[in-house]
Amino acid sequence: MMIDSEARYLKTHEWAKKDGGVFVVGLTAYAIEQLGDIVYMELPEVGKELARGDAFGIVESVKSASDMYAPLSGKVVEVNEQVPDSPDVLKTDAYGAGWLIKIKAGDAAQFDSLMDADAYRKFLETEA
Amino acid sequence: MKQTLFFDRHTALGARMVDFAGWQMPIQYPQGIVAEHLTTRKHAGLFDVSHMGRFSLTGDGAPAFLRHVLTNDCEKLTAGQAQYTILANDTGGAIDDAFLYRLTAEKFLLVVNASNKEKDWAHLQEQVFGFSDVVLEDVSDEVAMLALQGPKSETILQSIITEGTLPEPKRNALGKVSIGGTQVWAARTGYTGEPACFELFIPAAEGALAVWDKLIEAEAGPIGLGARDTLRLEAGLPLYGHELGTGKDGKEIPIYAIAQAGFAISFTDPNRQFIGRQALEAQAHAKIFYKSQDYSETAALPKMVRQMRLLDKGIARDGAAVYYESRPVGWVSSGTMVPFWEYQKNGQAVQLTDEHSQRAVGLCMIEPNVSVGSEIEIEVRGRKLKAKIVAKNLENHQDSTAYAVI
Repeated sequence: MMIDSEARYLKTHEWAKKDGGVFVVGLTAYAIEQLGDIVYMELPEVGKELARGDAFGIVESVKSASDMYAPLSGKVVEVNEQVPDSPDVLKTDAYGAGWLIKIKAGDAAQFDSLMDADAYRKFLETEA
Repeated sequence: MKQTLFFDRHTALGARMVDFAGWQMPIQYPQGIVAEHLTTRKHAGLFDVSHMGRFSLTGDGAPAFLRHVLTNDCEKLTAGQAQYTILANDTGGAIDDAFLYRLTAEKFLLVVNASNKEKDWAHLQEQVFGFSDVVLEDVSDEVAMLALQGPKSETILQSIITEGTLPEPKRNALGKVSIGGTQVWAARTGYTGEPACFELFIPAAEGALAVWDKLIEAEAGPIGLGARDTLRLEAGLPLYGHELGTGKDGKEIPIYAIAQAGFAISFTDPNRQFIGRQALEAQAHAKIFYKSQDYSETAALPKMVRQMRLLDKGIARDGAAVYYESRPVGWVSSGTMVPFWEYQKNGQAVQLTDEHSQRAVGLCMIEPNVSVGSEIEIEVRGRKLKAKIVAKNLENHQDSTAYAVI
């Protein structure tokens, strides 16, 4: 699945989805495909306070290192520690098992201002 | 943007194409950089290196000209041999590094970096003035070039040869073979650190595509520029623009900074006045003192290229600052995460297993007193990661298999 219709998106290719009272955040399948082999990742500690647009981690391929940005402001309440150890899951399930962090958002309305799936799809067309 | 003869082959295989030195080249195939690196180390990798510059030098005067314009001595080569060499400038820096192949007594082929080809050509044109009986030709379009590297490369190449035998010995030998009626120069050279390695020079108009197809059919894996870089990095081989040319500090890198300088420069004939000789002798002199831990005179050679391996988690890339005993001593010139096959050692025998792992390695340009075995720190995004200066990251076993030094 290249785009998850449930998710909202940033132009920097992070997604966010509502999950009860928190927001799950990950990298889009498009970003993962573009990166190629992911060989190193750094994710934040639980408890870290993020402002929208803050870099919350690093994803590195053989050729490059890229920051990953928070789609919403809030506190990191859970981190998927398994992904840095076995990043192959990103290729198979970017919007599911490949989630990266969960954020308890201060302002849930920020979610609605993110690109929806259609807008992200159109954005990718302009990127290509 | 230029395309090599093999462009359609790359796209048909699903390669991701990038612009490199004016050429559209495969950075990786669908297998990916990690898998391509591992394929080369355990099996055999096939590389399109036709973007590189190929100059033919012929005539009775060719050796005299080459002995003036290159740091190595072409008269050390007999027909059927090749050598690593450098186009130096007067101050002992590199205009480019290159490989010189002596095809026959009076026919040489000089292979240069794609990114430096125009500059090299202009330099050679300028220098050839005053030498007689030299014919200098750019044959890059007429001669395609492929590299076949890795432990299975000899078996694979052998299986498609229809006439002739592969050149001996295993390093830097060169010979003519026939592949389905196409005359191919096969050289035992390469840029991967593999002890079993070939570079093939094939007439572009006659069967070069067929040679590619036969090698793919014989199960050589196509390898892009991404893995070409990780392979050379793991082997500690220099790349112009990183370890040769101009350094991060904007200063010219003295050629003796690279470990391979000794193989590329010959002072044997005291009467050979090649370009850069005086400056290079001063660098060589400094290096002799370094070998006995005397670092009192470093002006000729202020930094050396050393291999490193990260001890902490993370990746140290090109440009990262290097510290030794809390003092800044230089920078990383090339670095990334590189995969390797796990292996078992039974006495002297090395057997690669089916398990692979990865490690962050690199080359750094640092002050000469930071010797092999030293622990250094490398600044990555504001944090200092521990690393170690090592003699090598890759070891050869019995001229057939290269394996990781861990």
